[in-house]
Amino acid sequence: MKNTEHLIRLRRIFTQVVEAIVIGLALYASIQVTQPDFVKLITAAPKARQVLRELLAPDLFTRESEVVTVGVALPVPCGSAPEDEGRASGPRLEVEPKCAAERETVVVRGEELGKGVQVTLRWRLPDGNTLGIQRLVTDAEGNFEVRVQVRPIVATKGGQSARIEAEVTLPGGRITPSQTLRDVTDAMFVTIFMALLATTLGTLLAIPLSFLAASNITRRGRVGALVYYLVRTLLNLIRSYEPLVMATIFALIVGFGSPFAGILALVIVTTASLGKMFSESIESIDPGPIEAITATGANRVQVILYGVVPQILPDFLSFTIYHWDINVRISTIIGFVGGGGIGDYLSKRINAFEYSKAGTALLAIILVVWALDFLSAQIRKKLI
Amino acid sequence: MLRVEHLTKIYPNGTVALRDVSFEVPDGEFLVVIGLSGSGKSTLLRCINRLIEPTSGKIYWNDIDITSASPSEIRRIRRQIGMIFQQFNLVKRSSVLTNVLSGRLGYANPWLSLLGVWPVEDRQKALRALERVGIADKAYQRADTLSGGQQQRVGIARALMQDPRLLLADEPVASLDPVLAHSILQYLEQLNKEGVTVICSLHFLDLVHRYATRVIGLKDGVKVFEGLPDEIDRTRFKEIYGEEAQEVRAASL
Repeated sequence: MKNTEHLIRLRRIFTQVVEAIVIGLALYASIQVTQPDFVKLITAAPKARQVLRELLAPDLFTRESEVVTVGVALPVPCGSAPEDEGRASGPRLEVEPKCAAERETVVVRGEELGKGVQVTLRWRLPDGNTLGIQRLVTDAEGNFEVRVQVRPIVATKGGQSARIEAEVTLPGGRITPSQTLRDVTDAMFVTIFMALLATTLGTLLAIPLSFLAASNITRRGRVGALVYYLVRTLLNLIRSYEPLVMATIFALIVGFGSPFAGILALVIVTTASLGKMFSESIESIDPGPIEAITATGANRVQVILYGVVPQILPDFLSFTIYHWDINVRISTIIGFVGGGGIGDYLSKRINAFEYSKAGTALLAIILVVWALDFLSAQIRKKLI
Repeated sequence: MLRVEHLTKIYPNGTVALRDVSFEVPDGEFLVVIGLSGSGKSTLLRCINRLIEPTSGKIYWNDIDITSASPSEIRRIRRQIGMIFQQFNLVKRSSVLTNVLSGRLGYANPWLSLLGVWPVEDRQKALRALERVGIADKAYQRADTLSGGQQQRVGIARALMQDPRLLLADEPVASLDPVLAHSILQYLEQLNKEGVTVICSLHFLDLVHRYATRVIGLKDGVKVFEGLPDEIDRTRFKEIYGEEAQEVRAASL
């Protein structure tokens, strides 16, 4: 008695030792094969800093500097051309007197140009050429006043007088989304709609398949059992393929970087995955109402519509929304292997070392995935 | 007239639920089936409308062979046989009215019913059925917001929609508070007086005495008693329910 107990304990210890050796060998082998270089994590710090700095400074907005040009005609000598009446308000130039003879001095006043603004003052000669006068800055009221000598070169030619122009650069004009942000937004919409289309098509395909793969609906008689096992096996087979692998294959067929490749891959993945989830939902319904409705003399389709559908509808909607959320996430990556959308944009920017643009794309992905996650959780909470 | 001849049901796992059961139910009878849980009462009722396929034996209803009816024939037969259940078997997420209307599916235009479109007459018929069982005000509520007794009345209203000639009731009051048993069974009694044949399985003997016109006793799938309710004395009772059984009265609970 005591001996057998001893033996059992010995055997248990032996098994544990063997298990430990096997796990140790497996770990050693994986290190040998993958060659992880943890030192590099530290030695590569400068490079990491450079890459991360650009990634973390996404290119989002550009400041549009608005350039306004105002001008006023100055006939030299007087009467050689019509004088300028000038505007009464708004950014404007005034000249005093309104005409002059050569070598006289006139006073040029700029009004309502914005305070502290850079102004480039110049002559626009009758032949269209320009001649710089000076650069100056407006005062606190947005005005300036400067004396300008009238040189012979600005004399009226062929009834066309010279003009004095002020080119005003308004600092910090409107802040507008950068080109990168607009490109990223476009690509993001491609991805979201890709996921939406794929989820819709996948759901439409998954619904009939899920009924065929539900044992309580289909597995009746020999034909029913055959269909049930066939559909179930098909769904399981498809589910064992990664969407990435499938997207690569489709990209080879319909063209690299096309959203259609991504959609095809997502449709298949969605069909298989929702088909399985739906069929499990159908299998877990209460059989009572089905029995009751069958007993009223209803046909098979009526039984499904009145006895099954009301029971599974909330589940189906909830799973579908959840899968849209998943599909957006997958389709961001699918772009890397030629599926189009934001992933395509991201991989191209990274290959071109444009990390700041890549950072914009990453930021967009994070925001969209987070928002959809939140949204789908809220909707699903309402459904149940 | 319903005629059951040598009915046997053996489930695929080998369980013998019914063994060579034969009896007749003349029109207008209130037949009560008694027996322990697992004695085959539910199987018997479900063989009559072929929710369960009998292994052998025949069932005739007005000389139509139910057991060999084709799928479309069985649907036509089923729509004249109402059924109510121990667990009510309502579609919980659907409205009370939809549940009642589903009793009319056997008569409805298949295409319109799939679109959820119901003729005005059917809707009025459903509301009248609900009025009859006293819950017309609940028509637009979800079925699962109702109490057990109310849900069983929806089940009766659903059966009423079929204009049944025969009503199968599988333990209609077993999931209800015993004090509600009479209120449900009185509806069945009323229908029976209007000419509907009723076959009902019950647990409580005092209910059997009160409502049955005739009684069948099942034990392990075999018919061990057939007769009038008054004929069930102590010996008969022990025969049906076994030596250790004690009589319990619904009214005493």
